[in-house]
Amino acid sequence: MLFNFISPEFALVLVWLLPFVGGVLLWGFGPQLKSWAGPIGSALIGVPFIATVGLWNDATAPAALHVHLVTWLPGWSFGLQLDRLSLIWSLIITGVGFLIHVYSIGYMDGDKAFARFFAYMNFFVFAMMTLVLSDNVIGLLVGWGLVGLASYFLIGFWFEKPSAVSAARKAFVMNVVGDVGIMFAVFVIVQRIGSIGYADIFTHFATAFTPHALFLVCLGLFIGCAAKSAQVPLHTWLPDAMEGPTPVSALIHAATMVTAGVYLIARFAPLWSASPDAQQLVGVIGALTAISGAVLGCAQWDIKRILAYSTMSQIGYMIMGVGVGAYQAGVFHFLTHAFFKAQLFLAAGIVIHALANEQDVRRMGGMRMQLPFAFVAILTGVLAICGVPGFSGFFSKDAVVYGALETGHPWLYAVGVITAGITAYYMFRLLFVTFFGPYRGDVDPSDLGIRHPELAGTAPDSAGRAASSGHHPEEEEPHHHAPPWLMSGPVAILIVPTVLIGFLDWGGAGSRWQRFFGGFFPHAAENAAHVPPISETVSTALVFVVVLIGFAVAYWRYGTTAAQRDSVARLRTESIRMPAVLVNAYYFDAAFEALLVRPARAIGGWFDRFVDPHVIDAGVREAAFSAQWLGHLFRSFQTGLVRAYALTLALGAVCIVAYYAFAFTGGAR
Amino acid sequence: MSVTPESYVALSAVLFFIGVVGVIARRNPLIMLMSIELLFNSANLALVTYARAWANNAGHIFAFLVITVAAAEAAIGLAIVAVTFRRTPFVDVDEASALKG
Repeated sequence: MLFNFISPEFALVLVWLLPFVGGVLLWGFGPQLKSWAGPIGSALIGVPFIATVGLWNDATAPAALHVHLVTWLPGWSFGLQLDRLSLIWSLIITGVGFLIHVYSIGYMDGDKAFARFFAYMNFFVFAMMTLVLSDNVIGLLVGWGLVGLASYFLIGFWFEKPSAVSAARKAFVMNVVGDVGIMFAVFVIVQRIGSIGYADIFTHFATAFTPHALFLVCLGLFIGCAAKSAQVPLHTWLPDAMEGPTPVSALIHAATMVTAGVYLIARFAPLWSASPDAQQLVGVIGALTAISGAVLGCAQWDIKRILAYSTMSQIGYMIMGVGVGAYQAGVFHFLTHAFFKAQLFLAAGIVIHALANEQDVRRMGGMRMQLPFAFVAILTGVLAICGVPGFSGFFSKDAVVYGALETGHPWLYAVGVITAGITAYYMFRLLFVTFFGPYRGDVDPSDLGIRHPELAGTAPDSAGRAASSGHHPEEEEPHHHAPPWLMSGPVAILIVPTVLIGFLDWGGAGSRWQRFFGGFFPHAAENAAHVPPISETVSTALVFVVVLIGFAVAYWRYGTTAAQRDSVARLRTESIRMPAVLVNAYYFDAAFEALLVRPARAIGGWFDRFVDPHVIDAGVREAAFSAQWLGHLFRSFQTGLVRAYALTLALGAVCIVAYYAFAFTGGAR
Repeated sequence: MSVTPESYVALSAVLFFIGVVGVIARRNPLIMLMSIELLFNSANLALVTYARAWANNAGHIFAFLVITVAAAEAAIGLAIVAVTFRRTPFVDVDEASALKG
């Protein structure tokens, strides 16, 4: 217990609410705070981080830390809980979040919406904390939705760029698809169990759910995961999300938000472990995402898009891990990935910043000399993501891949191993093309095979730069300057865990990590039944050989002296010969366009042309016409001739008399 | 020969018919008002006849009500005719058709 002056419960509420206070403060008083917005925003993330560290002992106690906030109805009590799983996530969100906030002070310096940026970032952290600290499914769903909203704000941060706005809208729509999935899962849970608290759900789900209902709940939850964590086929928003500022890509679209799906599956681990069908589905989708993302990573030229596809691929690993039941491995990969991917993005941001917002790696090259620090940072990150022994990714990726084999999924294991090789290829490709060879920024873009130089980031003298991809609209002149310590400092700090954090899992079953989560997750029942055909050591060696092959191919294509010398011609050839299916990302966007957007537009057009004028408008029009017609009819009775009225009266009297005459004589008969 | 209720009812019907024809066929407003009086009184005759025949006083009371209504009708009807005549002299009710729809 670090704090003697406040209770742990109060500290937890502070952890949850301080980022929200920051968001409101910076949003409301941004113009007054000016450049203070950055430090204030960072501090309001840094303090919760320290507080979370201080709550370590309370969270890891057997009962975990629980704060009851409000009870609305029986079974509908809302509260916060900090257990081991939430603790890991909270530490990453606030810790890595704090570093990225500090980095942003340097990166966003001079942006005219400096305070707004930090307001959004704080709001994002608040939303994410709501998601992971909630002790009930409704709080989770609210956090889930708010995170999507924060992501929308930040992707569309430079809203002068049409591409950023459409990317933001796309991300939001895709995320809402996932929200709806979770919502349906919540409906089923509330209907069957009558309570929204995790504790009640895990106690009663075995009796309350039929296997079929359980599968449906898992499916609904997984749709949410797939949308938020960019799993096939709901992944297409993630590469486009790189339109946001680079720190946003690092925090939201690499380190934290996109891994919310992993959290969700790990949180609902008892449900998943009870539904083998759902596990199978999640494992397969995860593996599919891992390999398809990695293959697409090989075909990208935008440094942030390469990293985006690598994120997608790595989250595929995590989802595969938690999907097959290797929860500890999946969560561990989340932990290591958060560090090395944040570091890769931030280091890439340093390069982008130094080259005046150039993002096309073909127009980089030779950065090793100009930006040695960024080179070291990216090199460390690349070694970690590839799983080179000793670096963090080695431990976690190995655990995930071997976990698939351990739980009896040899095919998923094979996909995981192959993906590791592809990962090594495209990450070293990024490294070689960016940092080795000659500087190609002054080469004519068409010589590099860039077809639309005005769209791919051009020389910094052209006027219409605001519309081109990935530029600060505010910055005009190029500056090859070393990054200030605000930007390099956080990256330097991140290098430490990137290298070392993996050693938490050192020592097999008795490692710190295994003990930390010992008994937390349900063990797969069939664990003992499957004896893996190869031991973990052999598997590790196999993965490493595949990684070496990937590295060798990358070196052969981009790293040799000859390849570096005529890199311009080689890159041109590669750009031109790039298979269309990869350039278009397997035509997912085109398929959505053809299957969903165009039919929706056609239906809309049909409603516009037929239903609106001929049903809705026609209904109103016909009502008016009928009233008019009736009016005409009754008008003709008003002849103005008194004698005609009298005649009508008389006829009426005759009718009445006739009626009674017939009625009575008829009744008499 | 005794005067039976049927005779009174028959007289009432004849008077009513004369009144109806007067209202519909004549165009002079004053004659029409007189015909309306005939209608009222034929109805009164029928009411009183039935009241006596069935020894029920409701018919008598209703006849008094009809007389009151007839008085009011005559007053208002004559007033309307006088006022209308002052604005546009006419002898034919068909000419007063300003309320034609």
